[in-house]
Amino acid sequence: MKATLNTLLRTSYVAGLGILIGLSAAVIANFFVAGILWMNDSLLISPRSRMMASSEWLLLIATVMVPALGGLAVGIIRHFIDEKRFHGPPDIIATVQTRQGVPATQPGLLSGIASLLSLGSGASVGQYGPLVHLGGLLGSLWSRLFRMDISMGNIAIACGVAAAISTIFHAPIAGILFAQEVILRHFSLRALAPIAVASIVGYVAANTILPQPPLLQIESAEILHFWEFGLFLLLGMASALVAVAYMQSILWVGRCASAMPIPAITRPAFAGAALGVVALWFPEILGTGGENLRFALIDEAFSRWELAILLILKILATAWCLGMGFAGGVFSPALLIGSLFGALFGSLVATLSGVNSSAVVVYAVCGMVAVTAPVIGAPMTTVVIVFEMTGHYPLTIAALSSVALASLTTSRLFGRSLFDRQLHQRGIDLSGGRSKALLTAHTLQALINPSCLQLSPRASVNDAMLAMSQAQVAEAYLVDAAGRYLGTVHLHALISAAPQDEARQYAPPDDLYLYSDTPLWESMQALREFVGERVPVVDRQYRLIGAVVESDVIRAYLDILADMRREEYAPN
Amino acid sequence: MRLINIWLICVSTSLPVLAAASPEPQPTPLVVASWGGAYQAVLEEVLFEPFTAATGTQVKTVPYSGGLEILEATPPDLIDMTKNAAMAACEQGQLIPLTFDDLPDGADGTPARRDFIDSAFSECALTHLLYATVIAYDTRAFKGFIPSRVHDLFNLQDFPGKRALQDIPDANIEWALRSFDVPRESLYPLLSTPRGMGLVFERLDTLRSHTLWWQAGNEPVELLESGEAVMASGYNGRFFAAIAEGSPIQIIWDSQIQEHQTWAIPTSATNQAAAQQFIRFATSTQRLAAVAERIAYGPARHSASALLHKHPDGFDIRPHIPTHPYNNQTAITKDVGWYARVRDHLHKRFEQWQSGCSP
Repeated sequence: MKATLNTLLRTSYVAGLGILIGLSAAVIANFFVAGILWMNDSLLISPRSRMMASSEWLLLIATVMVPALGGLAVGIIRHFIDEKRFHGPPDIIATVQTRQGVPATQPGLLSGIASLLSLGSGASVGQYGPLVHLGGLLGSLWSRLFRMDISMGNIAIACGVAAAISTIFHAPIAGILFAQEVILRHFSLRALAPIAVASIVGYVAANTILPQPPLLQIESAEILHFWEFGLFLLLGMASALVAVAYMQSILWVGRCASAMPIPAITRPAFAGAALGVVALWFPEILGTGGENLRFALIDEAFSRWELAILLILKILATAWCLGMGFAGGVFSPALLIGSLFGALFGSLVATLSGVNSSAVVVYAVCGMVAVTAPVIGAPMTTVVIVFEMTGHYPLTIAALSSVALASLTTSRLFGRSLFDRQLHQRGIDLSGGRSKALLTAHTLQALINPSCLQLSPRASVNDAMLAMSQAQVAEAYLVDAAGRYLGTVHLHALISAAPQDEARQYAPPDDLYLYSDTPLWESMQALREFVGERVPVVDRQYRLIGAVVESDVIRAYLDILADMRREEYAPN
Repeated sequence: MRLINIWLICVSTSLPVLAAASPEPQPTPLVVASWGGAYQAVLEEVLFEPFTAATGTQVKTVPYSGGLEILEATPPDLIDMTKNAAMAACEQGQLIPLTFDDLPDGADGTPARRDFIDSAFSECALTHLLYATVIAYDTRAFKGFIPSRVHDLFNLQDFPGKRALQDIPDANIEWALRSFDVPRESLYPLLSTPRGMGLVFERLDTLRSHTLWWQAGNEPVELLESGEAVMASGYNGRFFAAIAEGSPIQIIWDSQIQEHQTWAIPTSATNQAAAQQFIRFATSTQRLAAVAERIAYGPARHSASALLHKHPDGFDIRPHIPTHPYNNQTAITKDVGWYARVRDHLHKRFEQWQSGCSP
């Protein structure tokens, strides 16, 4: 009876958590999107407001000045973030994967504001990345308020992310999948319940509190021939190349930007002004480009040349904005780039085959998901988003065909996603699985025992043996006057030595030492060949800090893996 | 009603004095610009005549079929305007600002502010009904397949014959873009781009030699009845009136375009006091419901919608109202703010296209 009651209480707690996080994330997501739309309308970025503008001159000035001034504000905000970079989904992924507990709040919130300003002032960046990040941050704030442990905290983060996705795409199942596929990277029953609740609450709230129209509504999309599925696979492979080009451009501009002779604080302003000037001829590159996404689904809207030009411009504009320091995501531009590419592919198919193939909308949707999925590393989520937004089953299967090969090809050419690549550049390698990432994230620091026997390099064998027997240890570390580590002497090597010799002669030349910032993962690799009890630990100036006991390293290794398993497999 | 009573008391007490001063104590008549046809007949019956009976002020009507030209020269005292025209005229200072504090409460006691539908109050205009521009067809023209979606307006293959369309961009451009499966929410953002307008004119081009352009609200009904056109755009109330009298017309509710019809007073109107009095009189719960029950437009007050039931001929009026849930599923809400701003530009491009130039 008591056990049943406990279970019910526990379940209510989990459900309550989901409701709380889902509701708050949904509200924030809708306000964020409404804020962007409001800014775009007031600042003459959205086509509707541009059409309604009272004078040509006003429009001209706004097109250049709004992104420039937006960039200036973004540059100033960035200045207040210690790492001088904006936070986004990779930071959430890193927090969860390496069990760091909570993502940094202040840079996170500043990044959210900067994203809003970037998007509001027309920068060619995505809105979903910031929303995922804010959702995760919100989940973690709740977890802190309720003093949850790291495992529950990670689930809370996943809840926030799921609710954000569910709200903005009106796609609760995709929200759940995204949280598990991209953030948690494992499927567990324990996490599913609160995430599902949060996702559903997000979906319900999305339609009631300041509701925003869904991204994509497709009324009809017939697939006329079964052989076209072969083309969808081909489109997937081709899209992978587009995705890789897109991601490489972003990384490349990022690298080049730091070499530019422009101070970092004004770099986004410069980028915004340049974007605005190009937008005088191609206003399509401003903002997230929702209108063009819709046009890409219409056969007659673009000529083939227009598709190709806009595709290239959008890749360049997004890489330019993100690389030069605007804040924002990569998802929405990827959707547009992919759909333009898909439409181009579809129209080429129609011309080359001479057969009445399916409408361009099918190819545009396939291209859209095939470019997006590898960029964010979420093949299943993107396919399910298509299903939930269109309710169209054959279209979903077509999208799946494209995504499958696109993800495979991209993972070979580039890696799992842009997020993972960015994390790798920061030293977090998720390609070897979560256990490796976790063990890489922890260093030896906490395991160092500072009390160890230190000897002068001129100590004799006799002195050394005496000191060792007094300290009851079998090894001693030779340290010079500056505290620098010179070697280790072992008791067994000294026993048969002449008592007056310098002990230093008997120190093995290739003894093992570790740096204090060595990750556990590398320490374990180093200890593989090690025979002994303790390993000396030095800092980067070779000063001896202490020693670690081998069994402590092994215990830490086992504890970390046990925590991870508990998070992934524990029943509740 | 109370205000009217006070007014009546004032009039009656001053009558002997006026009678002594002049042999003809007639108040200045109220000049109302109205849309003619079946719609005006209803207004005569439930608004104009009772107003004269209650106040003694005669109502004179002048014909009106939309636009702002009526505001030039000598404008009427009161205009039954579409909301987007009223907003554009208001911005140009051609209408007087209205106050809404003295509107009567709803019949169920709801304060007027909450009783009227969303955005019924604008600076210079008060919404009194919600009408829809719809596509209708001649039921005699098609056997077997019948048109049912906005796409069918542009489908000359399955539904050949002349189309009667209104001689303005409104509705035509929305429908043209809707026929590309553009969702309702995206219509105006897309219509704001050169690419969107390009698609619109591409679509309208397919109808170019099959279109009869109409101007006054009763023309599409006549063109369908006479068989000159097989499909026509028009105001739902006009089609309803014809259907109620047995005309072979059927309304396609898909993508109906809903807009507010408002009362507005020109700045240079000579009888503004009577116009304001008329607005209060004509927008009470009972008057709004009475109009809607006869011409099948949506009343601007919630309390009036709740009263709707039967047409004077005895049949249920509710399924004929544009805002009925069954008709409302794919309704487009006209973006009047957008129209008010882009009106001149839009009309110029439309006329360019009509004259055969590629815009």
